[in-house]
Amino acid sequence: MRLYDIVVLVTPDLNDDDATKLAGEYRKILADGGANFVKEEPWGRRRLAFPIGRKREAHYVYWQVEAEPATVAETERRLGLSDQVLRHLAVRVDEDLRRAAKMAERIRKKTARRPPRPPAAPPAEGASAPAPAPPQAAQPAERSES
Amino acid sequence: MRSGPGGRSGGRGAAAGRDGKTGGRKKFFVRRRKVCKFCAEKLEYIDWKDVKLLQGFIPERGKILPRRISGTCALHQRKLQTAIKRARSIALLPYATD
Repeated sequence: MRLYDIVVLVTPDLNDDDATKLAGEYRKILADGGANFVKEEPWGRRRLAFPIGRKREAHYVYWQVEAEPATVAETERRLGLSDQVLRHLAVRVDEDLRRAAKMAERIRKKTARRPPRPPAAPPAEGASAPAPAPPQAAQPAERSES
Repeated sequence: MRSGPGGRSGGRGAAAGRDGKTGGRKKFFVRRRKVCKFCAEKLEYIDWKDVKLLQGFIPERGKILPRRISGTCALHQRKLQTAIKRARSIALLPYATD
């Protein structure tokens, strides 16, 4: 079992109920394949960042599922066949999440090892100017090239 | 005022202002140290669904903001890149705008 993020874009030609019904069909394929739904969020009708097949909006449906790769592959295949589905995306996220958690843990440990932080490191800005520049020279008259 | 070159002049001048030694030209720009946003905020997982976060790395044109400008570290830029590309594929973000 792997964790996947799945997003389905359903045509705006369908109303909300029909769109959820259509998404439900694909949800069923996943469920029949033994998928565990971790998150289910219908994002609703959203504006597309660019038109897809002359459509400017779409119903977004998002699921986070724990499923076998074969089940997801089958669902993706079926999604690709439908004309009502503008786009779909299924990406594996468990590895990334695990890696992120590991990194976060490492950072936490690192900071915990030396708890008394040196009181406010000298700011980088101050170091850059050893002698305060005369204010008149600070803004040289605009050099206009050509 | 030409807007194009004007926008870049900050970057050009800033190179001279490093460690206080100004070259021949008298330019005193203080370079703000750039830090990786994700390192600073300890965000390890860059979520491709988080459009608000990603939008900060998409200038008007729709391109991905380069590392040299945003100051993002190599590791996070790479993750950011895949996140943006995923978001683009389902039209959450544009590929290009004009």
